Amino acid sequence: MATESSTPATVATTAEVTPLPPFSPDLYQRAWASIPHPTLPLIATCHHHSVTVFSLSTLSKHSVLTGGHTRSVRTAAWQPPRGKVSSSSKETKRLRLVTGSFDTTAGVWTWDQGRREERLEQEVRLQNKSGDDKDKDEEEEEEEEEDEWELTLVLEGHENEVKSVNYSPSGQYLATCSRDKSVWIWEDVGNPNPSSEEEGEDEDEDEDEWETVAVLQEHDGDVKAVAWCPDVPGRKSKHAPARRYGDDVLASASYDNTVRLWREDGDGEWVCVAVLEGHEGTVWGVAWEGKPRENDKFPRLLSWGADEVIRVWSLKEPEEEEPVTEGSGGSGNSTWGFGVPNTMRRSLKEEWECTAVLPKVHKGDIYSVAWSTETGLLASVGSDGVLALYQEATTNTTTPEKTEDVEMTNGDNAPTTTAPNGGWKVLTTVKSAHGPYEINHITWCKRYDAGSERKGEEEMLVTTGDDGVVRPWQVRIQ
Amino acid sequence: MAKSDFDNANPTVLSVSQLPSRSQVKGHVRKGPDSKYDHILFPKQWWAGSSLNSDPSVWTSDEDEDDDLALATEEPIDEQEIYDLLSTISDPEHPVTLGQIAVVRLDDIHLSPSPAERLDPNTLTNVEVDLTPTVNHCSLATVIGLAVRVRLENALPPNYRIIVRMKDGSHAQDDQVNKQLGDKERVAAALENDTLKGIIEKMLETCV
Repeated sequence: MATESSTPATVATTAEVTPLPPFSPDLYQRAWASIPHPTLPLIATCHHHSVTVFSLSTLSKHSVLTGGHTRSVRTAAWQPPRGKVSSSSKETKRLRLVTGSFDTTAGVWTWDQGRREERLEQEVRLQNKSGDDKDKDEEEEEEEEEDEWELTLVLEGHENEVKSVNYSPSGQYLATCSRDKSVWIWEDVGNPNPSSEEEGEDEDEDEDEWETVAVLQEHDGDVKAVAWCPDVPGRKSKHAPARRYGDDVLASASYDNTVRLWREDGDGEWVCVAVLEGHEGTVWGVAWEGKPRENDKFPRLLSWGADEVIRVWSLKEPEEEEPVTEGSGGSGNSTWGFGVPNTMRRSLKEEWECTAVLPKVHKGDIYSVAWSTETGLLASVGSDGVLALYQEATTNTTTPEKTEDVEMTNGDNAPTTTAPNGGWKVLTTVKSAHGPYEINHITWCKRYDAGSERKGEEEMLVTTGDDGVVRPWQVRIQ
Repeated sequence: MAKSDFDNANPTVLSVSQLPSRSQVKGHVRKGPDSKYDHILFPKQWWAGSSLNSDPSVWTSDEDEDDDLALATEEPIDEQEIYDLLSTISDPEHPVTLGQIAVVRLDDIHLSPSPAERLDPNTLTNVEVDLTPTVNHCSLATVIGLAVRVRLENALPPNYRIIVRMKDGSHAQDDQVNKQLGDKERVAAALENDTLKGIIEKMLETCV
């Protein structure tokens, strides 16, 4: 797909989603989510009180994080790579994973083992060059120590179960959310300016120190998920009203059936800039569009939930805006606020509208949807055990799609039914993808296993189920 | 939850002989779900120990036990069997079972698709159970609902999707309770709460 991504996306006629051998070992208990590392061939699966990290090269266990939580680990997030980290940088020798647990805490875990990571890096490079990996399995066997993960910090503050954790794109902020109806934003103050700290600063000065910068309590129910807008060009486009706020945008999904969007205003306050209403049940999750859009339009947002519906939301961008004040809209995190006096700021609210409702496939809660940053394809899973793959047919047209789809499968009569399916269609579905079990999570990630012809480039899907199976899927589009 | 502070001090109690049962199997040593599947599907004290459902056999279907096969082929699970699984759960307040105080009623248990239509073991089957709490403001409705859900989750094969609700109009905060009982994440978290776990454990003690 990577070789084709530069040409306009063509409408696929056929799509095949075929199961690959699952990661080993089976976990034999409900697994909640599997989170791929942003750059390394690793994926972290949350189950029971621990996290099992699998290697995407060997499809087997890499390491286990255990002993840090007294109740189930619901979710995890990898610290994003900072700045423009080269593969030889010291940064890659340290892995950081944040876990969110039903025990009300979030744990910051550190793996400080340069040697093994170098090996991993080598693996990636080696496999990118050739498919020669005959010695790798043996190497992996040799190192069976599992005590290299250390719980270095516990973030306390939530009153009930933590449901989701996520890093902002720069790694400066961490968001956590809980059944206590709140979203907390933590700032990494142990490493004050992560994005500018590129060249050889001493690793040891980077300490685990987080400060609470916001406690957001506007949701009326459990907050199920938080997701930060990725750092794509559109996030800072001239059309985006970003100048009134910091660059980071956080979305939260709730049991109160709404999605809220949060940004930091010129006074350093995190405020709710939009409430997205339309779902008729718990919103289980939100995902941002990671593939850059034409004309640098602001990334869209997906939401899905217990009402069996997946919605696409778009920011209504103003046609023309006054010129950007000097010093604002820069890439830094601290300069934007000063150029614009408070009195010049417009309404705090942003206008978001539901621009598409995906064709309905699932019967039962939709627990997870993944949006490919490479191909723009969507994949969803839920309690019905179905894996569905969708494509937006209009991605190759430059004009907005005018053909309103009359055959709207969304049967509700809320005002939001005015949103057509926006050209989204179902490419294929896989029934009983985890046998009779519910599927809790789906994600796109890169393939590094021996079976891939384009290691490090080819995208696959990984599903995580109540059966404790973490299964990769090959996706072929023609 | 003080014992002296019952929500309903005088519930109507039915005698065991008044409860619905399968008359045609009387006198015959019934291989009901309790004896037939429990050792596979309902490991003793599943809530104890380090792992919820630590018994791998709960999750795998490749056991070569005859009983497992029987589950898929012979005698599909019907409403009466669901009733039998639930009616013996104890009320959290009174020394009676949910069947005796008619919180669980055979008429309010529905399977879809119906037992005869189920062929493939992966075919999802919805079990809908509407509960009738004994009083309108029963604060224990959620606890009872949770016990019912737990009982079914542990006793039924994984292709069953369990929907536990308060019967229309029977409970003041219906929607709230139903939403909570339908929320997988909340149910999972609740079962890691020691106090709740203790209450439910006690309620299920009477399920042989």
